[in-house]
Amino acid sequence: MKIKAIDERNEIEKQLNVSSIKEAAEKLNINLEEVIITKNNELVTEEAKLKNKDELKFLSVISGG
Amino acid sequence: MACKRCRTKPVIKLPNSNISLCKSCFLKYFESKARKTIRQYKLLKKGQHIGVAVSGGKDSLTTLYVLNKITKPQRTTKLTAIAIDEGIKGYRDETLEFAKKVCKELKIPLKITSYKKEFGKTLDQILKKNDIKPCTVCGVFRRYLLNKLAQKLKFDVLATGHNLDDEAQSILMNQFRNNISASARLGPITGIKSDKKFIRRIKPLYFLTEKEIMTYAYLKNLSTKYDECPYAKESYRDEMRTLINNFDKKYPSSKHSIINSFIEVMPMLKKNYKKSNIKYCKSCGEPTSQEECKTCKLIKQIK
Repeated sequence: MKIKAIDERNEIEKQLNVSSIKEAAEKLNINLEEVIITKNNELVTEEAKLKNKDELKFLSVISGG
Repeated sequence: MACKRCRTKPVIKLPNSNISLCKSCFLKYFESKARKTIRQYKLLKKGQHIGVAVSGGKDSLTTLYVLNKITKPQRTTKLTAIAIDEGIKGYRDETLEFAKKVCKELKIPLKITSYKKEFGKTLDQILKKNDIKPCTVCGVFRRYLLNKLAQKLKFDVLATGHNLDDEAQSILMNQFRNNISASARLGPITGIKSDKKFIRRIKPLYFLTEKEIMTYAYLKNLSTKYDECPYAKESYRDEMRTLINNFDKKYPSSKHSIINSFIEVMPMLKKNYKKSNIKYCKSCGEPTSQEECKTCKLIKQIK
């Protein structure tokens, strides 16, 4: 599936060919412990199914200093 | 995997378990976990004036929001938010604006003081002229001002947004630095014993992870994109965070195990260090473990 993936912390946006959210996170070198995920602007878990043209955003949970 | 409780679409898979929850069930789970921590560790009493240290980040604003929800039915309890403006351009100015907005919506008074006002310099200015680690100076100054403001406003306790991740990092940092006496001050209530000049700090979100707090904050519109301090990437804590999160990815529940094992030894640690007396700084009179507090030492050191 071709999807758009956005890593907000590192300001990276990529078109990826992946079959799962876990695979997308691996390709972006993101630890799923450190993000929450939205799919088409809706909060989802890492197990949510993907379809063509979905937009994934990885939002960092890290804050403060 | 559907929500374990109501079989609808989940928004989170809980860390440390294989359970997924939908928005409504997660919000209930989150608030009940904070309530349980407050009850189990006797963090609050009715009729208190509770201070909440806010930075404008997700952890502190979630603490404020949850405490407001819990204490609102008790009309005798009073909440006041306090904030410290360290002077970090492009970060703290943005998060403080957000804190003001949330406090206004919740109708909670917010008192702000700053490094510039109290020490004559912003953190940015201090770091420009001094070869010093940002988190060292910032942590010392911020804790000092929070306690001073908490005394001035006559708080009974001061609530902070510290979470399970913060605490796991602190425990391991203290181990790695052979600084166990610092760990004796950790836990859902900080400090070892009460003192008239030290307002004890409470951590209602102690058993909730950063991920759970971010999920709650996202669902309640309590997070901004300015959540991460630009100086944080240079810190020892940031390295420890990465280490623990990578370990947790490979060996799930490691983070929770650090906390659970610490909770078991915490009473012994606190008992062991109870004999050490709280002193008062010879320069400023604030509570300290040494003759002169770290803040006064730093003020003399920085240009």
